[in-house]
Amino acid sequence: MSEHDIELRDVRKAYGTVTALDGVSMDVDRGETVGLVGRNGAGKTTLFKLLVGHETPDEGAVTVAGRPASAGPAVRERVGYLPEHAGFPPSFTGREVLDFHARVRGIGDRDCMVERVLRTVGLADAADRAVGGYSNGMNRRLGLATALVGDPDVLLLDEPTAGLDPAGVAAFHDVVESLSAETDVTVLVSSHVLPEIERLCDRVAVLDDGRVAVEGDVADLRRTAGDTTSVVATVAGDPGEVAADIAASVSGVAEAAADPPRVRLSVERDVVFDALAALDDTGTVVDVEVTEPGLAAVFRDAVGASDVALAADASGGGGGGRD
Amino acid sequence: MEVVAVTDEPPARDGADEDTTPAEHTAADGGADGTAGAASAGTAATASAGADASHEAAGVTGTPGVLWRTAVGTAQVAAREYRLSVRRRWVVGVTVLFALFSTSLVFLGGSSVGPARTNAVLASFAQVGVYLVPLAALAVGFDTVVGADESGSLEMLLALPLTATSVVVGKYLGRAVALTGGLLAGFAVGGVLLVRYAGVGVLDSYASVALAAVAAGCAFLGVAVLASTLAAEKTHALGAALAAWVWFVLVHDLVALGLVATLDLPSWTVGAAVLLSPADLFRVLVLRTLPTTAGGIAGVLEATSLGGPVLLAALAAWLVLPVAGAVLAFGRRAV
Repeated sequence: MSEHDIELRDVRKAYGTVTALDGVSMDVDRGETVGLVGRNGAGKTTLFKLLVGHETPDEGAVTVAGRPASAGPAVRERVGYLPEHAGFPPSFTGREVLDFHARVRGIGDRDCMVERVLRTVGLADAADRAVGGYSNGMNRRLGLATALVGDPDVLLLDEPTAGLDPAGVAAFHDVVESLSAETDVTVLVSSHVLPEIERLCDRVAVLDDGRVAVEGDVADLRRTAGDTTSVVATVAGDPGEVAADIAASVSGVAEAAADPPRVRLSVERDVVFDALAALDDTGTVVDVEVTEPGLAAVFRDAVGASDVALAADASGGGGGGRD
Repeated sequence: MEVVAVTDEPPARDGADEDTTPAEHTAADGGADGTAGAASAGTAATASAGADASHEAAGVTGTPGVLWRTAVGTAQVAAREYRLSVRRRWVVGVTVLFALFSTSLVFLGGSSVGPARTNAVLASFAQVGVYLVPLAALAVGFDTVVGADESGSLEMLLALPLTATSVVVGKYLGRAVALTGGLLAGFAVGGVLLVRYAGVGVLDSYASVALAAVAAGCAFLGVAVLASTLAAEKTHALGAALAAWVWFVLVHDLVALGLVATLDLPSWTVGAAVLLSPADLFRVLVLRTLPTTAGGIAGVLEATSLGGPVLLAALAAWLVLPVAGAVLAFGRRAV
C-alpha cells in the first residue's frame, strides 16, 4: 500500500472551457485530518468527485487508499463519503438507511454495525423515526453515519456542516474530533468555515481557481499569520500621509503601509481600537476592514490578494504535498 | 477492530476493468471505530465472521467476480427501490387503477351478454389498455433517476461501492416488480368477475392479456427510466414521459398508417411500424389471440407476416434496450 492514503499528482480537470482543477498535487497521510478551503467554485467538490471515482481527471493521477480512484467501486469500498448534497428517502428510518449501506458493504453483523454508528453520531434515539422528520443537523449526522459504516480507511466530508445551526455544528465537530483522536482514519474535509478547519484539521490546503494556493500545517500557518490584527482602511486623502500619522500616533502598530487608495496596518490586538480611533480622527476614512489573525488572514492573503501576491503564494506553497 | 473489507474488484463506473489482486484490507486496527468502549464490545468477532453470501464470493476476481458483485448490488438496489415504491403507494395505486379498469370492462362488456362476448371483452382490454398501461408505467418511472438526483439520495447511492449498472438496473427492476405486482393484482380483481360470467375456460386468454400488459408496462417503464436518466430536472422527465405517451399511443399509428397509405409502402413496413412501438406490440399480442379485428395498425396486420416469435423478440428488445440506454446515459450524467 502507498504511504499516503490520498495522493493527487498534477491533476487537471476541465468541464468544457471551465477549468475546475489546474495542476493540483497533494498528499494526505494515514490518520491525518486535512482541511480543504476555498471560495465557491474553487474546485473542492470536483476534487472529491475525482477521489471517489465519479469523475476521471483529464490529466494526472489520483490514488485513494492505495488504489487508483478510477477503479470506482473498488475504491469506494475503502472510502466513506459524505457528499455536499446528501439526501435520503424520507419514508425510510435512519436505521433502514444505515442497514442498506451495511448490506451493500457486505457487513456480516449489520445490526451491530448500525447500532454502533448510530451511537457514534448520536442518533440512537431517533434511529426508528422516518428520515423525513429529521432536522437538517440530524440529516447531516445520518450522512456521516453512512460514511462510517464499514470503518473506512478514508473519510471524505464535503461541506459537512453547511446549513447547520451552531449546536448542530458543535455536535458534528465533536464526532469528527473524537474519530480523529481515537482512530487512525484519514479525513479530508472541505469547509467555508475557517475556525472549523482550525479546530478539526492538522493541515489545510487553500484551493483557488483550481490550484493549491497555500498548503501547510494549521499551526505553522497560524504562526505565519502572526498575532497582529490586520486593519485595511480605504481613505479619501493621501494614504501615505495617513499611514505615517497612525504609525506616529499609536504605539503598537507593527506596520503601516500605503496601498492607494488604502492604508494597510498590522497592529497588536490590544491597540486595535486605538488605531481605529486614530484613523477616524484623520477624517478621511471611507471604509475599514479588520481581520483577526489566524487562518482567515492566510486565506484572505491567498485568494483575496492581487494576482502578483497570489502567484507568489502559489510558488511558495502550491504544487506539491508537504511530504 | 471491525472488518469491512470486501476483497473483490467490482468494475469501475466508467467501465474500466481492473484486474488486481484481492485487497489485503483485512483490518485497519483501531480504524474508524468512533464508539469507544462498550459499544464496540463483541462487535469484532461478529462483524469479521459474519461475511454474507456476497462477501463469500468476493474472493473471486476477474469477470465472474465482477459480474457476481454487480448482480448482488443490482438485487440490493432493486429490493430497496421496491420497498420505496410500496411506501410511496405506487403498488396500491396501480392495483386500484387496474382493478377499476378490469372490472369496468368486464362488467360493461360481459355481464349482459354472457360468455359469447368474451372475446369482445378481451379485445376491449387491448383497445383501452393501450392508453392506460403506458400511462401507469410512465408515471411510475419518470422520476426514477432524476428524482433521486434532486433529493440527494442518488449521490448517497453512488457513495457506495455500487456500479452504475447496479444503480440504474436495480432501480428499474425494483419499480418493475412494483408495477407488475400492481398490474397483476388489479387484473386479478377483474379476472374474478370475468370467471363468474364466462367460466374458468376464459382464464388462459385473460392471463395472456394480463401478461402482455405487464410486458408492455415494463417496456414503457424502461422508456421512462431512460427519460429520467437523460433529464436534468424532474419536470423535464415528466414532459419527456408525456411526449413518449403521446407519440407511442396517439401519433405513431397515425404517422405509420399515413406514410403507408400516402407513399404506397410495401406491407412489411406495417409490420416494422408495429415493432417500433411497444403500445402496438401490446395491442397486437392481445388481438392476435382473438378472432376479432380491431382498429389501428393492428387491424391491417393480416397482411403482414408478423409471427409470435418476432413479436416477442421485439418486446424483449423493448424491455432491454431503453434500460441499456439508460445505463449508458447514466455514465455521462453529472450527478
